[in-house]
Amino acid sequence: MAGKRLAVLLAAVAFATNGSAAITTQARLILSAEAARPGETVMAGVQLKMARGWHTYWRNSGDSGVPTKITWQLPDGIKAGDIQWPVPGKFTMAGLTTYVYHDEVLLMVPLTLEKDVKPGMLDLIAKVSWLECERVCLPGKAEVKTTLEVGANSKPSSEIFLFDAWKKKLPRVDEAINARAFWEGGTDGDSRAFVLEVGAMDEEDFFPYPDKAFEVQAATETLPRADGKVRFRKLVKKFSGGWPQQVQGVVVGKAATGRLIAAEVNVPIAEPAPVTSATTAPEAESKPLALMLVFAFLGGLILNIMPCVLPVIALKILGFVEQNKESPRRVRQLGLIYCAGVLASFLVLAGLAIGAKQASWGMQFQNVNFLIAMTILVLLVALNLFGVFEVTLSGRAMDAAGQLASKKGVAGAFFNGVLATALATPCTAPFLGVALGFAFTQPPAIVVATLLTAGLGLAAPYVVLSWRPDWLRFLPKPGAWMEKFKIAMGFPMLATVVWSFKLTLNHFSKSDVFWFGVFLVALSMSAWIWGEFVQRGATRRGLAAGASVLVTGVVVTLALTKAPELDWKPWSPEAVARARAEGRPILVDFTADWCATCQVNMRTSINIKTVRRKLGQLNAVTLVGDYSREDDAITEELKKFGRGGVPLVLVYPKDASKPPIVLPDGYLTPQIVLDALEKAGS
Amino acid sequence: MNKTWTTVAAFAAVCATAFGAAEVGKPAPEFEAKDINGRTHKLSDYKGKIVVLESYNLDCPFCANHFKTGAMQELQDWATSKGIVWLLVDSAGKQSGSYRDPAAAKKEWDDLKIKATAWIDDHSGKVGRLYGMKTTPHMFVIDKNGVLAYQGAIDDRPEPEGDPRKARNYVREAVSKLLKGEKVEVTQTKSYGCGVKYGG
Repeated sequence: MAGKRLAVLLAAVAFATNGSAAITTQARLILSAEAARPGETVMAGVQLKMARGWHTYWRNSGDSGVPTKITWQLPDGIKAGDIQWPVPGKFTMAGLTTYVYHDEVLLMVPLTLEKDVKPGMLDLIAKVSWLECERVCLPGKAEVKTTLEVGANSKPSSEIFLFDAWKKKLPRVDEAINARAFWEGGTDGDSRAFVLEVGAMDEEDFFPYPDKAFEVQAATETLPRADGKVRFRKLVKKFSGGWPQQVQGVVVGKAATGRLIAAEVNVPIAEPAPVTSATTAPEAESKPLALMLVFAFLGGLILNIMPCVLPVIALKILGFVEQNKESPRRVRQLGLIYCAGVLASFLVLAGLAIGAKQASWGMQFQNVNFLIAMTILVLLVALNLFGVFEVTLSGRAMDAAGQLASKKGVAGAFFNGVLATALATPCTAPFLGVALGFAFTQPPAIVVATLLTAGLGLAAPYVVLSWRPDWLRFLPKPGAWMEKFKIAMGFPMLATVVWSFKLTLNHFSKSDVFWFGVFLVALSMSAWIWGEFVQRGATRRGLAAGASVLVTGVVVTLALTKAPELDWKPWSPEAVARARAEGRPILVDFTADWCATCQVNMRTSINIKTVRRKLGQLNAVTLVGDYSREDDAITEELKKFGRGGVPLVLVYPKDASKPPIVLPDGYLTPQIVLDALEKAGS
Repeated sequence: MNKTWTTVAAFAAVCATAFGAAEVGKPAPEFEAKDINGRTHKLSDYKGKIVVLESYNLDCPFCANHFKTGAMQELQDWATSKGIVWLLVDSAGKQSGSYRDPAAAKKEWDDLKIKATAWIDDHSGKVGRLYGMKTTPHMFVIDKNGVLAYQGAIDDRPEPEGDPRKARNYVREAVSKLLKGEKVEVTQTKSYGCGVKYGG
């Protein structure tokens, strides 16, 4: 038959072109236990070790490739569960994205021993098939087996630490991840976008699980983070049927150590809620809005007690009453017009705030920068309230306001309202500053409403008093207590600084947090120099101004030019084993946040140019064991080297047969570290 | 509301220009490409005929299995005998290691006894990217009016070995339906195989 001849010919051709390609991945089957009792669950693991540059695929291979498949041949009474897939990496080449494992992966499968399983030395066989790719792709196949002793005993295997390490790389399946998804906009043929909103700040991407009826495209668009949530926009392409009701996958983020961590997400995709504003995510405005307006009103009201405002009330009301003794109605009318003046000023302020916000719209306000600006702003407000420095309107503006206000009648009342607001600036500025800060996160309508309400609060006493001038006697008399009140208000502001600072912590590395704190202190000092010597000073004000700028400037420069970081990978026995297997020297630093010696050592002897260069030359691996919190594995390791605690710095020579060099306890010098590295490289 | 529409449109546009403007139910994108014998082919040349595009790379075990077992050649023979135009699209870039220059390609064609109409030399990746070809094999079936009727996997069996004849072949189904003037039942599936080795 022609077909048969063709097949033989093709086999020959195939052999000639491809037959010599050997697969590069090694597979073996390991168990978490050597012995187990009926009824127990043992974790099996298919370990795939890929050659350098080769990869195998995740449960969703992505644009190409095929996920690894495991078929079990198990004795009666043992049932295999689903593969537990560790978090993959996302690999893009020539516009195609795949989810892959490089170097090594342990695919864990729970094996459940039923009560009636026959005891003995049982053979467990796994038939594994995979696709491994580098520049070319090769289909891999292996039949791997191992034995398990089923009987009266339970005994963990020597590989248990490998299982523990890989368990950490599995996506978390807990409720702590607050996620929801909703469709965005309309459909474009077979494509439709949805937004996945996750309530955790350090997530970076979403890897979808595969589905027969639709495909979630690999490209992830991260929307600006806001209010403690991160949002991803993904495109869905459907093959058949209706739009998917549910989306499943893992959200992936980076832990502080640089390790990828993931959490499983399984949420329904809701239809989009009607969007009424320009913001990309619907926000529940109604409840907080009412609350915000109440606070705005109260804020405006409190402003009246500020040292700059209270004396003015009494004067102004007396002024009205004097002018219009004959007509109480006129007084009332003027009071209302005065209120209008105040509101008009606040409207201008609202306009400025919105304008500023729109202008910076193009800058794509990254949440981190906003939080930093907020923290600085609130700190300055607190310092202002403490009296460290003042905020005043320019003399010209005051003169102009004064002239307008001296007009009699309606115009006069109106401009009196404006003047009152202007005069109140030194005291209102702090609070308005905070209000403006929050205004940036709200749509224009809210900004206007809030500021107008504050204006109402400020004008309220005037209006009330213009209706009932005799209530003037209930007004608190101006006095020294006003100044004390102002300073007291500074403390809630400081608390706000602390809260705002805490919010920035999520975005900063440990050393960045330190420098930001130092910067805030320097800023406070600069503010004091400005207030004391420039504003209140008599001579050498220019010099003082310079000094003020210098203090903050120096700190900023120091912060920005701090040393570059080394690539620290998290320490684990396997990481050490792996690096030794690769013939690379290893620098292990066991450290903790609270260990001052460790921090000094890092800054003076490890994270310095000469050591960094040497590490690069030796192609060394740098591992950090963070002992800031109790860690049994690290405690064990420290004990091995006879140490009760940190610091402990080890240098493993590249020759795997040689033991690690233990650096002396206490303070290190660059020479000690360099000598050890020299020995390790020889 | 406007903002979200423009966003979706922009997103789709970006995806489309970066990769694949071919959508089932819409007219298939026009292309102009040379085959390994130097002849130029345009999609519009074949108006009135059913056209099958097959992204091809013998170095990929999935693709190779279809040819080694003879299943693909049989399918190509059956299709071309019914008047279908079957174009192999080889989008492997010159540096990819899977590139075949026209001479090598012709030899491979003869050795494998390929029964397609022509082997398009798409080392620039233009046609592949135009259609959004992601894997080898990745199949596209275009009806007589130039509308894309099917895109996706060749069958429901993503295996690098064994007999593809035992699988449900989506291309055979789509072509049969089109020949009878009926509507194609399965219009889209996720293609399987190795990634197309574009311009590397």
